[in-house]
Amino acid sequence: MGWLTKEIEHAPCTVEISHKFESLHAHVRFNNGAVIYPGDEVKVQGPEIMAPFGEIVSEDRDAIIFRASKLEQLWTRLTGDFEVMELCEFSFSEEVTL
Amino acid sequence: MNMQPKHSADATTVEEGLAIQEEQSKFDSKAATDVAMQNTLLTPRFYTTDFDELDAIDVSSVREDWDKLIDQMESDPNKGHFKKNEDWDHVDWDNMEPKLKKEFIDFLISSCTAEFSGCVLYKEMKRRGSNSDITQLFQLMARDEARHAGFINDALREAGVAVNLGFLTQKKKYTYFRPKFIYYATYLSEKIGYARYITIFRHLEANPQHRFHPIFKWFEEWCNDEFSHGEAFALLMKTDPKLTSGVNVWWIKFFLTAVYATMYVRDHQRPAFHEALGVDPDWYAHEVFTKTSALTKQIFPITLDIENPRWQAGLVKLQKANADLARAKQDSGLGAMLRQVSAQARAATAFAGLFFIPAKRHQVPASTRMEPAY
Repeated sequence: MGWLTKEIEHAPCTVEISHKFESLHAHVRFNNGAVIYPGDEVKVQGPEIMAPFGEIVSEDRDAIIFRASKLEQLWTRLTGDFEVMELCEFSFSEEVTL
Repeated sequence: MNMQPKHSADATTVEEGLAIQEEQSKFDSKAATDVAMQNTLLTPRFYTTDFDELDAIDVSSVREDWDKLIDQMESDPNKGHFKKNEDWDHVDWDNMEPKLKKEFIDFLISSCTAEFSGCVLYKEMKRRGSNSDITQLFQLMARDEARHAGFINDALREAGVAVNLGFLTQKKKYTYFRPKFIYYATYLSEKIGYARYITIFRHLEANPQHRFHPIFKWFEEWCNDEFSHGEAFALLMKTDPKLTSGVNVWWIKFFLTAVYATMYVRDHQRPAFHEALGVDPDWYAHEVFTKTSALTKQIFPITLDIENPRWQAGLVKLQKANADLARAKQDSGLGAMLRQVSAQARAATAFAGLFFIPAKRHQVPASTRMEPAY
């Protein structure tokens, strides 16, 4: 990992999307043991995965991991904490005046 | 639909649940495609943390309380609760006042996103951790959050809003939280979540004419889940006294101030929603802060002095600066830029003013566990 250079990796992954009444969730699992570090970006390849209501969809896909540069990783480590507030229910509204 | 399948919220095993879901999906996927819906892309956050540090937690000092709490969560008292029954009254979405409808849908979407993000975070911690106490806890919490998200999603569908989970195929960045910040923030978000929901629930119990949507009837059990999640984080923090002493007390104060202030500002952006509930947002904020402060005494050595006149005055200033900032951001030109800078400076000053109000110190009880009492 360079100080300023980004590296790109491919990783096979399994995406599970549950669009059910009793569980609304979506998770990505990397099947080659790839680990995500602060500042990394992940994009699952292929068309949007849509689960109709009431279904769980699980698909094997390829993911691209854009590794953050060392500097970016450091920056995210230093500043990421302040985004923690977004776990609150009242923090997610995008609009300030509705 | 001639046969109503058993609801999977009642399933006792995974296999049973899956079988019911499979049966149900035959109806649901058809229903979903029949109705053209407004599409809302969920945009949860993705987090990473120091998983080794998380694994190093040793709950043996609070083992008795811990096991009791986990057993209670494992027994899943709210299984089957989060589904519609005869108490789910008809909602007249078409005749709902447009401003209220907009604010209420925004409320539902932001609640759904928060539950969903909680689920993503907890699941990630479960998956990458190897300490069985910790992974078990996070698994149980992820279950609850996904269940809540599903329930809100159902209410949204009724309003003609379809939640889109397609965000995974968009590029998403992983941010980083130190474990201790996750404890402070999630602990507080669960406890303030409890205080918020129970305050609305009790208010509507006393003033049912203001209950404009049936989802509020489910708030009591919902917030009891939030309460137990908060308990778990309180116990986690109890295992390491350093987390609630020394310089960390300043972090706790920072999180308390930030969470309270964010809530105040956000709630004041939904005037029609609060009016429909018959709730004055200033009264509501004070009530929620009072309850949250009483609850957080279980583990935090300080509470904010919300009775200090500077507190309310500071919140009002912050709210005003934020509204000005939003307006300035919509305009362009040098004038708008200057107004933006000025509003940002005022917001920062107001926040600092709130932060530096001396906190109240108190003794933290030896035993952490509490039961929901409001």
